[in-house]
Amino acid sequence: MTDTPLDFGDPADLDRLRRRFRAWLADHPLPERLPDEPVPVFLHRWHRLLHSGGWVGLDVPVQYGGQGLSALHQVAISDELGACRAPGVPRIGYLAHALLEFGSEEQRRRWLPRMLAGDDVWCQGFSEPGAGSDLAGMSTVATPHEDHYTVRGQKLWTSYAQYSGLCLLLARTDRSAPAHRSISAFALPLDRPGVTVRPLRAANGDDEFCELFLDDVRIARSERIGAEGDGWPLAMTTVSYERNALDTGHLSKYGLLVERLRRTARERRADLPDGLLSEIGRCFVDYEVLAAHARRRTAERLGGQLAGPESSIDKLLMTRTEQRLYETALKVFPEEQLRGEEAEDEERAGAGELFGDYLYSRAASVYGGTSQIQRNIIAKRVLGLPSGN
Amino acid sequence: MEAEEFLLVRDMFRAFAVRFRIGSADEVKPTARTTAQEALGELGLAGLRRSSPPAATVQECALLAEEHGRQPLTTSLVGTVLLAPELLRLLERAEPSAHGGTPTIALAHDLRFPGSAPDSSPSRLLAWDCEGADSALCVTPDGTVTALELGATAPGIDLLRDIRSTSSESPARVLGRLDAQEYRHWQAYALVMMSSELVGAAGSFVRLSVEYARERRQYGRAIGSFQAVQHLLADATVLVEACTSATRYAAWCLDNESPARALTAARVAKAEVNASALDAVYTGMQVFGGIAQTWEHIAHLYLRKVRLGAMTLATTADLLTTLAQPELTR
Repeated sequence: MTDTPLDFGDPADLDRLRRRFRAWLADHPLPERLPDEPVPVFLHRWHRLLHSGGWVGLDVPVQYGGQGLSALHQVAISDELGACRAPGVPRIGYLAHALLEFGSEEQRRRWLPRMLAGDDVWCQGFSEPGAGSDLAGMSTVATPHEDHYTVRGQKLWTSYAQYSGLCLLLARTDRSAPAHRSISAFALPLDRPGVTVRPLRAANGDDEFCELFLDDVRIARSERIGAEGDGWPLAMTTVSYERNALDTGHLSKYGLLVERLRRTARERRADLPDGLLSEIGRCFVDYEVLAAHARRRTAERLGGQLAGPESSIDKLLMTRTEQRLYETALKVFPEEQLRGEEAEDEERAGAGELFGDYLYSRAASVYGGTSQIQRNIIAKRVLGLPSGN
Repeated sequence: MEAEEFLLVRDMFRAFAVRFRIGSADEVKPTARTTAQEALGELGLAGLRRSSPPAATVQECALLAEEHGRQPLTTSLVGTVLLAPELLRLLERAEPSAHGGTPTIALAHDLRFPGSAPDSSPSRLLAWDCEGADSALCVTPDGTVTALELGATAPGIDLLRDIRSTSSESPARVLGRLDAQEYRHWQAYALVMMSSELVGAAGSFVRLSVEYARERRQYGRAIGSFQAVQHLLADATVLVEACTSATRYAAWCLDNESPARALTAARVAKAEVNASALDAVYTGMQVFGGIAQTWEHIAHLYLRKVRLGAMTLATTADLLTTLAQPELTR
């Protein structure tokens, strides 16, 4: 890691970009969510509207439908949206990075512009019932034939597969090679014969996660991303970009809640026990530290460093921030836990917005690699500690 | 500084630090202390920010403070080379002091910023980080800067850092006054340099414990191959990285943002460091096991420095209650 001075500042043109975006927002009011419209469908409409203004994929090169700017530019847009309580920008950065780093020129031109525009909605088919933390132990197999593969197996935790058209799929193409070199990546259209998608209801009531059943699904060789056996490094790249608070756009969401807590601390100073006041202070410290850390990472990345195993440090810091924040928020706003009974929306009974987010925060130490897996990665790949035996 | 110039200064400083680092508590001796401080003086770092505009940025100074923290050193870098000269720069005093001596800074009797404790009467002030110093500068919350004579040694738990009482016999001399913006800059600067030194200490100690975990064998294998030990070290690494990001960002803010913003960032950094640098040192000690509980081992030198450092200038309790509420817009 760098031990020379870094520029933590915003790029010079960032202010102008923010002003342009605010002006655009003033002319393009948020679409209303229709009664009975599923959240992902509503968010997809929002995605397309944002894209029509040129606000999606700011950090993707121009030739693939982006703007060729930096991650900081995309984050500034997230911030602005957060500040006016609008839904964030679609979280496709990590998928875009996988295609950028591993896709062929033809594939990048074919898929990236459509991904950014929302013409194709992608999901991620990595985990399996028997391969969670031990991702390399997956058993879905893609058997090679002359010009295609047939895929057989099952995927789990495939977020929003029921609303997606394409899946970034990992499957084993060579059963004789060691696990980390036998996996390949594919772009699988989910309307292929043999694909079954079954949603799974999460603890917070959302239908985010899905199971994906693959029964002898035919995938063309041209739909393989990268070389045969490149699936593992591709997956590692993808998850590296999933572990940074800047890339995921979580930072502005935390910032809003922290400010709400601090305003409450000022207004209700006399009623709050000192312990809770300190906890709010600690949440602010966590948030500011995470923001400074994300800026440092961005500065390092602008200096040419690619996302690597240090992103596990970022993920653990993000988890720490998120879990303590929602824990504290429920203490400061205890009434939010009682709202369930009045909820008109049957679907979300028992889950007020804050409580729903709190439940989701408990998943932070599980998704994208558990906190224990992150520690393994830091120990082995950042600190270079030896493996057992 | 130009990037290469900074690297030269840093490498020169590293060479100094390696040469004068203490191998164990028994090596802390008055003559060795004096020699080391004189060698530090010869590096000429006190003048780094004396020119206008300053030759070194705050971030560069903070990186040097980090380097100083990495090794067990008895020298006063933060007090006499960084903090007191910055104070004199803010007062626009070309000379270090009226009589050309070397001042350090004065803190309240509990080592917090003067005036932040209810009973910090001038007679109870302490001169902090005194090696090589002959006076101490005290800044009160109204911005008044006074110079105090040094009194007797007031030993603290930190065996490396020299702390003295201030003399109650000679009256304090008023040197000048900082305005509100300068006072915020001063507090932020002090918090950042202090935090940087502690980050350096924690980071370096964790690195030593990682090396030890690679070498030390039990049950026929390196203890660093056990997942229980690996996870401890991974957590300590996360804490050190959090401290590093927060501290360097706060230093950058002093160079580029308003003093109010820089002060918030500096308070955040100190709050993170107070808790996390200490936890990281605890973890390192746990990995070293029994050997780190001995007088000869350097572990307790790091622990003492970070333990006392965590209550110096601002405690966690002070900082968290301040940071819990939004800044009043001024």
